[in-house]
Amino acid sequence: MSRFRGPIRSTRKGFEIAVDDDEAALIRRLAAELRLLLTDDVDDEHARSLLVRLFPTAYPDDDEREAEYQRLMREELVASKLAALDVVDRALDADAEPLDDAGLLAFMQSVNSVRLILGTMLEVSDDPEGDEVRAGMEQSPEYALYGYLSWLLEHCVRALR
Amino acid sequence: MLPVHVGSVGRAGSTGRADDQRPGRRDARHNGVVPTTLEPTQVAEPDADERVAEDRPWIVIVWNDPVNLMSYVTFVLQKLFGYSLEKATELMLDVHQKGRAVVANGTREQAEMHVFRLHEHGLWATMEKDGGDE
Repeated sequence: MSRFRGPIRSTRKGFEIAVDDDEAALIRRLAAELRLLLTDDVDDEHARSLLVRLFPTAYPDDDEREAEYQRLMREELVASKLAALDVVDRALDADAEPLDDAGLLAFMQSVNSVRLILGTMLEVSDDPEGDEVRAGMEQSPEYALYGYLSWLLEHCVRALR
Repeated sequence: MLPVHVGSVGRAGSTGRADDQRPGRRDARHNGVVPTTLEPTQVAEPDADERVAEDRPWIVIVWNDPVNLMSYVTFVLQKLFGYSLEKATELMLDVHQKGRAVVANGTREQAEMHVFRLHEHGLWATMEKDGGDE
C-alpha cells in the first residue's frame, strides 16, 4: 500500500506523488480553492483574514515602505503561488511526469499555503497554557485535513533532503 | 504544541554578520580634479549622516508562528541561505523558543529579496535596520 511507502516516491526520473485517487482529488480541490482565493477580487474581510499568513508584512514599523513593498511584490507573490498550484495539478495527473526538485518544491509550497490557511481557520496556537486549536475544532474535518497536510509536507521535506 | 510544528522565534539568533566595513566616500577633488572656481573647502559631505544611515545593514527576521513545521522551516533556511543543517536547525530553534531569529542581513534591496523569498515559502519574515529604531 502506498501509505506504507510514503506519499512521495523518489525514482531515477524524479519524484512521484504516490497518493490514492481520493487523496489526489482532495488535494486538487484544495488547490482549486486556494486558486480561487488568490484570484477572486473579493473585497471580503473573511477572505482577507484567511490569506493573512500568505502575505505577511515586510516592514512592520514603516507604513510607507510597507505600502511600496506590497504594491511591488504582492502581485509577484500571487503569481508565484499560482505557478506552484499549476505544478500541483500537473503532478496529480494519471500520466504525470515525475517532478524534479523545483517541481516538488512548488508542490510543497502549495501544500504549505493550504496548511497556513487551515491553521488560520483553526486558530492554531503553540501556547502551552492554551488550546492547540480553536475550541470545538479538535474533531473537525478541517483539523483532520490539517493533520493530513502536515504528514504530506513532512514527507516532501524528507524527500528533498 | 504539536512536536512537528514550529512555534517560534526569539531575540538572539545572531548570524555571522556580513562585512560592515564599507569603503568610505571618496571626493573627486581629492583625485586630481582641479576646481575651476574658488569654493569653500567644507562644502563636501553635506549628507554624511544620511549616508551612514543608508549604509547600515538591514536584517531579515523570521518570526515564530505555530503553523509552519519545524522541519520545513529548517529546510527553507538551508535552501535559501545555504546554511548547514546544524546552523539552520539552530536558527529554527531560536525562532521556536525565543520568538524570532535574524537569518540574514545586507542592503535594503538584498533584505527585501530575502523577505520576498521567505514569504514565497510561507514563512513570517520582516526586515528592519540593524541596531533597531533609527
